[in-house]
Amino acid sequence: MVKLPTVALCLLLGTGLAQAQHTPDEDGFKQPLQHLQFNPALDQHEFERSSLRALRVHDPLEPWNRRVYHFNYRFDEWVFLPIVEGYRYVTPSLVQSGVSNFFGNLGDVPNLLNSLLQFKGKRSLQTSARLLLNTTLGIAGLWDPATRMGLPKQKEDFGQTLGFYGVPAGPYLMLPLLGPSNLRDTGGLVMDFSLASQVNWLNVAEASRQYPAITLLEVVDQRATVNFRYGQLNSPFEYEKLRYFYHESRQLLIAE
Amino acid sequence: MPVPTRLICLLLAMLASPLALTQDVDPRTYDYPLSNPFEATLVGTPPALRPSLPAERDIRQADYQIRLRPEREFALPENFWPVKKMRYRLAQQRGEAPLIFIIAGTGAHYASSTPEYLKKLFYGAGFHVVQLSSPTSYDFISAASRFATPGLSREDADDLYRAMQAVRAQHPRLQISEYHLTGYSLGGLHAAFVSELDETRRSFNFKRVLLLNPPVNLYTSVSNLDKLVQTRVEGIDSSTTFYEVILGKLTRYFQEKGYVDINDALLYDFQKSREQLSDEQMAMLIGAVFRFSAADIAFTSDLINRRGLITPINEPIREGTSLSPFFREALQCDFECYLTEQLMPVWQARHGGQSLQQLIDEVSLYALEDYLQSSDKLAVMHNADDLILGSGDLGFLRRTLGPRLTLYPFGGHCGNLNYHVNSAAILEFFRG
Repeated sequence: MVKLPTVALCLLLGTGLAQAQHTPDEDGFKQPLQHLQFNPALDQHEFERSSLRALRVHDPLEPWNRRVYHFNYRFDEWVFLPIVEGYRYVTPSLVQSGVSNFFGNLGDVPNLLNSLLQFKGKRSLQTSARLLLNTTLGIAGLWDPATRMGLPKQKEDFGQTLGFYGVPAGPYLMLPLLGPSNLRDTGGLVMDFSLASQVNWLNVAEASRQYPAITLLEVVDQRATVNFRYGQLNSPFEYEKLRYFYHESRQLLIAE
Repeated sequence: MPVPTRLICLLLAMLASPLALTQDVDPRTYDYPLSNPFEATLVGTPPALRPSLPAERDIRQADYQIRLRPEREFALPENFWPVKKMRYRLAQQRGEAPLIFIIAGTGAHYASSTPEYLKKLFYGAGFHVVQLSSPTSYDFISAASRFATPGLSREDADDLYRAMQAVRAQHPRLQISEYHLTGYSLGGLHAAFVSELDETRRSFNFKRVLLLNPPVNLYTSVSNLDKLVQTRVEGIDSSTTFYEVILGKLTRYFQEKGYVDINDALLYDFQKSREQLSDEQMAMLIGAVFRFSAADIAFTSDLINRRGLITPINEPIREGTSLSPFFREALQCDFECYLTEQLMPVWQARHGGQSLQQLIDEVSLYALEDYLQSSDKLAVMHNADDLILGSGDLGFLRRTLGPRLTLYPFGGHCGNLNYHVNSAAILEFFRG
């Protein structure tokens, strides 16, 4: 008879198992759940509690909002995305990024004003520097040298400013074509828009009134740069999930 | 050692030879940076260590749809309009090329991040690529599943097979030299069943089939996932929920950083910061993601089959109808609940099944033991610290696959799929 330790040794030699810090079993399995601290009775309902509470977003216009959600979904699939795809197909990437940079530079005007309104000194200085650099060195904003110099774009809209001053979000709103919002942010959107046309940076706001194609280009560029697709969460409850994400991401942007 | 002992030793080593032949990747030479399985599962691979992939612009691809189940046009409420036809994505090479089907994991959409990554990897290597949603996903259950009760692997494979045939029929001019098949996570298990089905139906004659991190015992896997939301997490009290704990950490992280920047490296950097999540918190987060999948499956299956467990039968549902009450109901249902309330009764009624153990044997890789053992075209890549495995699962894979099992020391569940060493091995398998 062979002694037991010898057999064990033989088996080990035969299997060539690697020794690792997680004390794998004889198959080499590391049992990753073994060291976790579990609730002993396995009857905690934290997932349910958290998720049910997350569903509580003030949404008195839900039936209307849901119809708009479906309208947007269809519009995106049948009109918006085909246009975006066509735009991408015919436009060289260099021109596409030029267009994005150009409108991005215009967007830095409300970004600056809203940073100032929230007394964010450092951010205001950085955004001012971006505006100056990109408008001059970047040739009216077609290039974005500021980002390469370590001054990334930092978005601040009037909705965030209102949030900063403690204005509550108000009821959730699904805006036609524009997507998820709430009463506060919709007000902010209107404010930012009228602000942009007042400031009339690089004369674009005025020119767009004369040539609506500029506005169309801006809208297409915006859709092309936003990654979101309706249906991408692939859940029958996408409406609820989207609402929660919107709500929380705005909270986060306001807090930051 | 005396000679007889050495002889016995040799014999024993030979007995254990399938074990010896398994390709165990040595942890000393495998430089995947995340040795924590939860981190790996959540974070994936840091951007610098991923393979170079073709740009979106350079891929000739489009989404297509097929009407596979015409009766669903009427059976489904109007707010299901986007999922009445099965959708998929096809990326085409110019001229003749091999075609590979990718089957997504639990609840996943064909265009979610892992199938997209695999598509780029294979497209860059010269394949036509078809991406299919998981048979457990909302869109596939609604548009392509005959019984709309996913979980019976053979039925799910049959649905997939019909879908694949329909996809091919929709592109008669696509020049295909040969067919390949892969799937990750639950999609890996499906790939094995589809491959077995192909041995009798012979529509594709798959040349190679690769299972990436598949469950071995399906029940072990879903029990593990159900259990993840039972971890004891610090920071939760009556006024703070789990999500608030996580979001609070994320907010503080961004505040410290000075600006919000959401990119590929976000999670990796976050886990390196002071706000990093504990293992229990990560486990709960992973568990929560799967619970949402379970809720989607339970709701969709119940609604289509009019079982009345979640949605009352004949409840009028229109585009403006709030689904939140049903969502609340469905969130209470984990995989175990779906299994006992919906899957088991269907299986017992239609297939004359008896015990849970019998069901487990039928839907897990065990059902394919002989096929896995004998079919040289098929291989498995897995991780020694995968969360969906239990004890004995790797032993089963070692015994049945021998050298066709590649075992990585780290990676958690699918975390290392986009690590450049793994991606090279994946391509190598299909080239060979």
